[in-house]
Amino acid sequence: MTQDSRTNSIVINGLNDSAFKVRLNRNLEIIQSVLANPTTVIGLVIVILMLMMALLAPVITEPNMPDPYQMPRDWQAARSAPLTPGHVLGTTNRGGDVYYGVVWGARTSLKLSLIVVCLTVVLGVTIGSIAGIVGGKVDEVLMRIVDVFLSIPELIFALAIAAILGPSFTNIILALVVVFWVKYARIMRAQVIRIKQRDYVDAARIMGDSKIQIYLKDILPNSFSPVMVQATLDMGNIVLVGATLSFIGLSEAGIAEWGVLVSEGQAGISAGRWWASTFPGLMVFLWALAFNLVGDGLRDVLDPRTETKR
Amino acid sequence: MQIRDYIIRRLLVLPVLIIGTSIIVFALTRIGGSPIGIYLSHEMNPAEVQEMKERFHLDKPVPVQYFYWIKGVTQGDLGWSGVASAPVVDVFPKKFAATMELAIAAGIVAVSLGIALGTFAGARRNKLADHIIRVVSVGGASMPLFWFAILLLIIFWVWLGWFPIGRSDPNLFEAIAHPTGFYTIDALLAGNFAAFRDAIWHLIMPAVALGYGATAIIARMMRSSLIEELQEDYVDAAKAKGLAERVVLKKHARRNALIPTVTVIGLTFGFLLQGTVVAEIIFRWPGLGRWMASAVLRGDQATIMTYVMFTSILFLIVNLVVDIIYANLDRRVVLGE
Amino acid sequence: MSPDTIYSSDSLSGDLIASVSDLKVYFQSKQGMVHSVDGVSFDIVDGEMMGLVGETGCGKSVTARAFMQLIQTPPGVLAGGSIHFKSQKQCKKCTSSGCDDCSNTGREIVDLLSLTERQIRELRGERIAMIFQDPGKALNPGLTIRSQVAEVFQEHRESDVFERAGIADTMSGLTSYLLKQYVRQETNFITKLLLKFPPFSLARKKVDKAINGLVSEALAETQIPNANKIMERFPHELSGGMKQRVMIAQAIACNPDLLIADEPTTALDVTVQARVLDLIKDLQKRHKTSVLYISHDLSLVRRVCDRVAVMYAGKIVETGDAETIFINPKHPYTQGLIKALPSMTHERGKLEAIEGMVPELIEPKAGCRFASRCKQKKANCDKTDPELKAVSNKDKSHKVSCFLYE
Repeated sequence: MTQDSRTNSIVINGLNDSAFKVRLNRNLEIIQSVLANPTTVIGLVIVILMLMMALLAPVITEPNMPDPYQMPRDWQAARSAPLTPGHVLGTTNRGGDVYYGVVWGARTSLKLSLIVVCLTVVLGVTIGSIAGIVGGKVDEVLMRIVDVFLSIPELIFALAIAAILGPSFTNIILALVVVFWVKYARIMRAQVIRIKQRDYVDAARIMGDSKIQIYLKDILPNSFSPVMVQATLDMGNIVLVGATLSFIGLSEAGIAEWGVLVSEGQAGISAGRWWASTFPGLMVFLWALAFNLVGDGLRDVLDPRTETKR
Repeated sequence: MQIRDYIIRRLLVLPVLIIGTSIIVFALTRIGGSPIGIYLSHEMNPAEVQEMKERFHLDKPVPVQYFYWIKGVTQGDLGWSGVASAPVVDVFPKKFAATMELAIAAGIVAVSLGIALGTFAGARRNKLADHIIRVVSVGGASMPLFWFAILLLIIFWVWLGWFPIGRSDPNLFEAIAHPTGFYTIDALLAGNFAAFRDAIWHLIMPAVALGYGATAIIARMMRSSLIEELQEDYVDAAKAKGLAERVVLKKHARRNALIPTVTVIGLTFGFLLQGTVVAEIIFRWPGLGRWMASAVLRGDQATIMTYVMFTSILFLIVNLVVDIIYANLDRRVVLGE
Repeated sequence: MSPDTIYSSDSLSGDLIASVSDLKVYFQSKQGMVHSVDGVSFDIVDGEMMGLVGETGCGKSVTARAFMQLIQTPPGVLAGGSIHFKSQKQCKKCTSSGCDDCSNTGREIVDLLSLTERQIRELRGERIAMIFQDPGKALNPGLTIRSQVAEVFQEHRESDVFERAGIADTMSGLTSYLLKQYVRQETNFITKLLLKFPPFSLARKKVDKAINGLVSEALAETQIPNANKIMERFPHELSGGMKQRVMIAQAIACNPDLLIADEPTTALDVTVQARVLDLIKDLQKRHKTSVLYISHDLSLVRRVCDRVAVMYAGKIVETGDAETIFINPKHPYTQGLIKALPSMTHERGKLEAIEGMVPELIEPKAGCRFASRCKQKKANCDKTDPELKAVSNKDKSHKVSCFLYE
């Protein structure tokens, strides 16, 4: 594999399938351009660190038994400041190690964002595709529903849903899915309509491809980019909104989740115990920031027309 | 012609959206089971429970309950707030004024600071000031409000002691009349400078916390719009007339760059609206947001429904207004050049 | 002295209004330094219409913008050369009596490229003016015509404005200050607010009226009908030809010594082109303005220009009288350009295009830039750059940069 100095594309010797070569080339070029942007790289580094922290949680901390997602309670060590032996970031009012909360909170956030993003993408892409492909009255009705969902501000909508369903981690996931699927429906529908009008779809139809084939071969792969960008941004945003919901009190008390920790740490603030809220909150910020940077970087490469809109 | 059609179309859709929203909100509350719980107490016997059910129409099928609710709303009955132990409609105005005061203050901070920073950065592209402002902006868009607010609290209230928490000092607050419900305005009307200062002093931290995210978004948009405008020919043409850099920047480039920024300002409003929930909790501000937060934790459905409907309608109207203003301002867009 | 000789001293021959000497403008890019303008020299005779012809990308627009320091300096770099200009100020040495420094013109010769921001601003719009290629883009879409044309008067004819408003003598300190701020567009929130109320608003309205009068007259000069109504319109409400007239009116409002026209008719319909061209020519004759007319269209340039400079890949390849160059082109590129023009007298058949492409201007190698496309190439054409020299001793005004004539 060598790099052609004139055109900067990658040349793989001995690979006969040219379509494959073209696609691989394109993807590698995309990755190269994304990595060329320093802020994107910073975001990527932070994302990787976060992921590692989440995955290695049982290794870098002593998992709390029986349920590691519950914050440990060590009443004797409660309310200790950072840098006390055994508690690098201090402890909460109930003796939970802040460092433990930070690390296992990353794991919780990963669970939350992955599940929500996967569900919203599947749901949104499906409904958006149906609306775009079938068209007509079905499209109108579906889009009206999407519009109604969009007219309720995100956080408030999620708040109401989670409130009705009752405080629990699972319900937060549900609430977020209900609120966030609409974005993907819109994106997908727009893509379907845009691509339906392209010439190569007409060509495929003439050649006899069925609608499903056209969808799978032409529409879906080309819709990948905007969905990918939105999903990356949402990985950050979901944790942000989720932590806010937990902060307000819609999650279970005592679990290792950043929003819950910040909320529980509030009580100590007037007494000067700043660490229980500050560190978990910082993590939420870094998580959201990192995914935003990566998402922006992706968007700049995949769709250079849009400059910093939401 | 074109604009008028656009406006009419949007206005016609508006009621449909509002009704749709109300259906969803109502359906939401009924999913969690009958809301009778908040109206009952342990002492009631079955007959009284039944009477309660009838009084609130909870024995009827759900669609019928919906119509009773709508009917109540049109007559000014928004339900009973368990949290406040009073009719929603009575509690609403005061809390609304408190939240509006905060939101407007935050909005003023966000718009003025955002435009100023964005212009500053855009005019000095790729210089140090630009980089600093860009970093701050990126941070702002990802900033969890609850964390930023707590940080401000820790630094400015606990450590430095510069600013107070809450909305007012009760002594000063009680001393003046409250015709508008806006502490700042009422203080001015009463000529009470101490109260005015008190109002402002309490406003600063929450307004800055609430407004920061919006400031970042506006600054980012302003910066990129300005950079785009500065590359247009008319900027060179203006310079070629001998005009000073300042005039070219302000009168020509910035004015046109403000147009796309206006759309972002509309977006900002949604941001601010949602942020009040968290900001009011942390700064102990007696507004709608804090009320909603309590309602959410205690299943106070009347409050939840009213709050969600209210904010949605506000959100829709503001977005509509911003879109109309944008359509009017950007003559380029309207005539499809 | 004949025009187009390279000057090394701070002087300008008496009959010239401007002289470009070895101008070099480069641009930084990811791939290297682009030599957009690489040693360009030509003169503009006072009162004449000088054409600068070349294809897209040859550097003619950059040359034009260099006159008024309109090049963005990153990424642009002023790599060398000078543009001497005969200003209206008195020659410092002889105070108008005539000396060698000013070639007996009595006026101060300045190097436009070395002026400060403040100094060049005085010249911009007043002594040197520019009209741009696409009037739709060169007019601010968000401001009225009046607002934009007025700026020229507000910037350079402040005293005329006050005189016309009839308030020059009667102004008290504060009113005078406010109105001056207003005219100079230096108002802030407070002063703007004050000007809305009497007594300041009365004076301000008189100023507005005076400005309106000046704008109206300027627009009428370019034969814009209903000037008063047009003034209140926005650019997008006008046709292309009308917009260009507004640009021209704006440019000649202060009677500049040099007008730079950067492809003023390229964006217009053919029928409108002719009228705008005639307008420019007419104004030039009447006000004795020197014009630097930039175009890619050689036939157009022949029609209206007195002299022409042909530019290719950042260098001047030929200069001379318009008619001479057209009838007797010496440089192979010029010859190619003329052959490529469709004409009523030629036979029907294929048009002759020049084969090949413009070379890349990133760190260019030595040698004639046209060599790769030249049918009359010789051995040393690739090795060294040719210089601009007179074709023959009889006709010193016709110069070529080609080894065929050395």
